[in-house]
Amino acid sequence: MGKFNILLVDDEAEFVESLAERLRLRGFDIAVASDGAGALALLREHRFQGVVLDVMMPGMDGLAVLREIKKGDDPPEVILLTGHARTEAALEGIQQGAFDYLIKPVDIDELSFRLQDACEKRALMLQQQ
Amino acid sequence: MLRILRNIIDAFKGVSGLPEAAQDDEELRRAFKLRYMQFRRLLNANDKALKTISEMESVQAGNKPFGMSFIRSRCALLFVNVYQIIQHLDTLSGGRHQALYDTFGRLQETISPLLESAVPGEDAELVLDLTAIDRRHAEVAGVKMASLGDIARQLDIAVPAGFVITSAAYHRFMQHRRLQEEIHQRIQSHDGEALDRLYELSSVLQQLVMAAEVPPEVVAAIEAAVDKLRKQVDGPLALAVRSSGVNEDLPGASFAGQYRSLLNVRPGHLIDAFKEVVAGKFGATAMTYRFHRGLRDEDIVMCVGCLQMVDAVCGGVVYTRNPLDIREDTIIINAVWGLPKMVVDGRSAVDHFEVARQAPHRVRERRIGAKTVAYRCLAEEGICRNELLEDQSHAPSIDDDQAAALARMAVDIENYCGGPQDIEWAIDSDGHIVLLQCRPLSVAPAEAQASDADAAPVSEAEVAHDAAAGEEGAVHAVLLHGQVTAARGVGAGPVRVLKREADTMRFADGEVMVVQQSLPGYAVVLHRAAAVVAEHGSVSSHLANVAREYQVPALFGVEGAMSRLADGQTVTVDADGLKIHDGKVDALLRGRLRAPHVMAGTPVFDTLAQIMPHIAPLTLLDPDAPTFAPAHCTSLHDIIRYCHEKAVQEMFAFGRDNAFPMRSSKQLVVDVPMQWWILNLDDGFSDEVTGPKVRLENIASIPMQALWQGITKVPWQGPPPIDGKGFMSVMFQATRNTALVPGVRSSYAQRNYFMIAKNYCSLMSRFGFHFSTVESYVSERVPENYIIFRFKGGAADDFRKMRRIQLIAEILEEQGFAVSLTEDALRARFEDFPMEVMCHRLQIVGYLTMHTRQLDMVMSRNAMVEHYRQRIKSDIEERFGRPPEQPAAGPQQRSSPSIQGQA
Repeated sequence: MGKFNILLVDDEAEFVESLAERLRLRGFDIAVASDGAGALALLREHRFQGVVLDVMMPGMDGLAVLREIKKGDDPPEVILLTGHARTEAALEGIQQGAFDYLIKPVDIDELSFRLQDACEKRALMLQQQ
Repeated sequence: MLRILRNIIDAFKGVSGLPEAAQDDEELRRAFKLRYMQFRRLLNANDKALKTISEMESVQAGNKPFGMSFIRSRCALLFVNVYQIIQHLDTLSGGRHQALYDTFGRLQETISPLLESAVPGEDAELVLDLTAIDRRHAEVAGVKMASLGDIARQLDIAVPAGFVITSAAYHRFMQHRRLQEEIHQRIQSHDGEALDRLYELSSVLQQLVMAAEVPPEVVAAIEAAVDKLRKQVDGPLALAVRSSGVNEDLPGASFAGQYRSLLNVRPGHLIDAFKEVVAGKFGATAMTYRFHRGLRDEDIVMCVGCLQMVDAVCGGVVYTRNPLDIREDTIIINAVWGLPKMVVDGRSAVDHFEVARQAPHRVRERRIGAKTVAYRCLAEEGICRNELLEDQSHAPSIDDDQAAALARMAVDIENYCGGPQDIEWAIDSDGHIVLLQCRPLSVAPAEAQASDADAAPVSEAEVAHDAAAGEEGAVHAVLLHGQVTAARGVGAGPVRVLKREADTMRFADGEVMVVQQSLPGYAVVLHRAAAVVAEHGSVSSHLANVAREYQVPALFGVEGAMSRLADGQTVTVDADGLKIHDGKVDALLRGRLRAPHVMAGTPVFDTLAQIMPHIAPLTLLDPDAPTFAPAHCTSLHDIIRYCHEKAVQEMFAFGRDNAFPMRSSKQLVVDVPMQWWILNLDDGFSDEVTGPKVRLENIASIPMQALWQGITKVPWQGPPPIDGKGFMSVMFQATRNTALVPGVRSSYAQRNYFMIAKNYCSLMSRFGFHFSTVESYVSERVPENYIIFRFKGGAADDFRKMRRIQLIAEILEEQGFAVSLTEDALRARFEDFPMEVMCHRLQIVGYLTMHTRQLDMVMSRNAMVEHYRQRIKSDIEERFGRPPEQPAAGPQQRSSPSIQGQA
C-alpha cells in the first residue's frame, strides 16, 4: 500500500515536532505546517491522504481550514485534534466532513490507527468512483 | 460531506438494487468491503462512546476529584461518537434512520446548556467605588470586598478608602486576545497529577497572565478611579491590592491564604499588581485546592480590591470565637506592632488576648510575646521587616481599652454577618481602628472526633464489640456469623432479601441488603444500603469493591442468611466483628460514619449529576419490544444500543439477501448435530469459497476460530437430567409462550449465524429456548479489542432462569468481564487485552454458550447448582487453563469496569 502522506497542522511547535517524529517511527510520511495558511499552501502543492488539524490556532482556526480543504477536488481525510473540547465545535467539525475528532493529550497509537483507517477509507472511496 | 454520504449510499443502493444483474464480482467485493468499513467505523465509535460513558460513571461513583474540563471533554467525545454512529447507521441503511437525528438533537439541547455555566457580572461596570458596594455586589466585587463595603455602610466601622476592579473587568481581561481559551487549552492538555507537572503548569499559566495585555478600556477605568482616590487622600497615594474572589463562600471553600495581596503599591504599578493578583488564581496550592473542592476554573472570578494603604502602628487578627471550640465564650485577639501581615505570616511571636464577649469586654487572659520584628511600609514602595527595639519588643502592642474596642467591633460584625468571623484590622497613627477585611472563620465541626475512617483506632472498635457482647449481649442476640469482611464498618436497618436483580426495584433507602451471591447487578442500589450481607462472595468481587467505595459495611460468607433473615426485621451488621445482631445495637453504631463523595455539593459534581441521567441509563433492553425505537431513546446510551442492534441487523440482512455467490450465507461443514451458517462480511475466508458449504480450515476469522474452539472443546453430553419439577416448568412455559415452541419459530431463528471478517465475528444463536449473541473484534490494535456477550431467555420459571444466569455471571466475572443483569438478560463485556487473552476469553464464552444452555432445568436444588458450578469451573480450568499471558496491569487506561456500560 506504500507510505501514507500526512500533514500535521498545529501552532505549538514543540508538540507538533514530537508528534511528527513519533508518527514517522510508525511508518507515516509527515509534513508539518504551523498555521492554516501554511497548510493550505502545502495542500495546493502536494498530495496528502490525511491531515491532522489543530482546532484552535491563531489566524485561521481549524474549522475554517477544514472548510477550505473540503472545497477542493479529491480532498484528504481530516482528523481534528483539540486541547479545548467543546461539543458544538466538535459536531460542526464532523458535520463538515472530518473523519474523526480527538482530544489532547492524544494516545499516539489511537491517532495512528485513526490515520490508517482514514487513509484506507479514502483509498476505497477512490476505487469506488 | 453530504456529497460523500450520497456517494456511499448510492454505492450501496447500486449493490442491493441489482441482486443478480451483470455486476462483476470485483465490484461486489468492493461494495462489501466498503460496507464492512462503514460498519467497522460504527463499531469503533460505539466502543469509544461506551468507554467514555464508563469513565464518566466510574468518576461519578469513585472518590477521585475531577474538573469541569473533564466533563466538557468527555461530553464532546461522547456527542461526536454518538453522532458518527448515527451517521454510519444511516448510511448503511440507505437513509432509513433519520429520526435518530431528532432524538440526538433533543438530548444535545438538554445537555449542552448544563455544560455552560452562566458567567456572572459580565455586564457590570469595570470599576466600583467601595462606598457604592454592599453585600449584593458579591458577584461583581467578590465576596471579601462586598462584605467590607457592606459592613462599612451598615455598622459605622472605618474601612480604607478605595475601589474594586470588578468581575466585568476580569472577564474583559480574560477574553482579551483569547487569554481564557489559551489557559483552558493548557489545563486540558496537561496530563498526569504528578506534583512536578502541576508546578510546571502553574508557572506556565501565571506567566501567561503576567505577559498578557490588559484591555485599554480597563486600564482607562482603573486610572480614572486612581485619580478620584488621589483627591480624597492627603499626601502620596499608596495602595493595598487584594484578591476578592467571586464564589469564595461556596461550601468549605475558605480559600484562606491561597490568593495574593500586595501591600504598599504605587499607582503607577497598579496594572501589574492587578495582573499579579489575577495570576495568583493559578498558584499551585490554589489550583490543587479548587480541583479537590470541585470548583470549576471559571467559578473563580478574581475581583481585585484596591484600598488606601493604612500605615499601621499596630494591627492583627480577631477571631470572634475560639476556632477549636465555638461554644467557648471568648473573643481571641492576636496583635503585633506594624502591619497585621506579621500575624498572618506567623514569623514572629504575637500578643495574645482572650476577651469576654460581653460588655465591657474584660480581658481575661493576656500573653505578651517577645516580638522581634515588625512589617512597615517603605517610603517608596513595598514593605520591609524592621527589628524592634528591646523595650518595644516586650511592650503590649494594644492596651486593654483597644482590646475592648476590637472585641466590640468583632461582636457587631459577627452579629451582622451571622457567624464566627476572622477579622483583619489595623490601628493608624491617629489611634483609629480600621477594618481591613473579614471572612467567615473555619471552625472544627462540633463532632470532629472519630471522623477519620483510617485513623479510627482499632481499640475503640474493640471496646464497642465488648460492649455489645457484654452488657448488651443479652438484649441483642447474635443471629448469624459471617466469614469475610468485604467492606469495613457497622450498619443497621430493616432487612431486604433480594432473590434476583429485579428485586432491587423494591429496595428502600437505609435497608440491609441480603443476597445469596455478591452479583454486580446489586450494586445499583448499594449507595442507599445500610449494609450488605451475602451468603457467598469474595472480597474482590465488584459488589465488594463498590461497597468499599461507598463505605457501606459488607459481610460475606454468611451461611443461611437468605433463609434466616426476614424482610423488615431490623438487624445490625457488624462487618468488622463478622456478626449480625438482632435489633439496633447503638454501642456498635457509635462512631460509624459515611463519607460523602469528596466532590459532593460542589458545582462540578452537581453538573455531572445533572447530565448523567441523559447519558448513562440504558432503558432500551429488548430489541423485540415495540418500544425499541428512536422515539423511546431517553439517553445517549439508548441511542448507542439502538444503533448497534440495527447496524448488526443491516449487515446481516445485506449479506443474507444479496445473491453474491462468494459471500452469501454458507453452511459450515461440522460433525455436531446443529446447523451453523456463515456470512462473510469481507475477509473472513482464507480462499474464495464458491460452493454452498465452507470448511473450518477455510475460515480466516481470528475471533470465530477461538469461539469455535470453545464451542467444540468439551463434547456436549446432551441435556442434563431434568428433575420432575424442572420438566413440568418447561412444559408450562412452552404452553404459555408459543415463541418457545419448536416449529413455530422462524426459519432463521433456528439456525446459528456467524457473521465474520478476519478480525470480527458475531454469533447469533438460539439453542432451544435460549438466545445468545457473541460479538467480538480481535486484532493487533489492543485498545480496540472487545467481546460482548448477551444471553437471554430460557424455558424454566424465573427462579431457575435467574439461578442459571447468576451462575454464568459469576463465571464471567471471575474471568474479568464487566457483567450486568437486567431481569433475565445478561450482558457482559471484556475489552482492551492483547489477542491471546481475547482468544482465551472467547473460548470460554464459546464453552459457556454450549454448556449452560439448559441448565435452568436443573437449577431448583442447591446441590445441583453447586454440582454444575464445580463442573463448569473445572472444565474451564482443565481445558482452557490460564490465558497465555495474563497482563499484570489489565486494560491500560480504563479504570474500574462499569456496572452499566454495556452495548
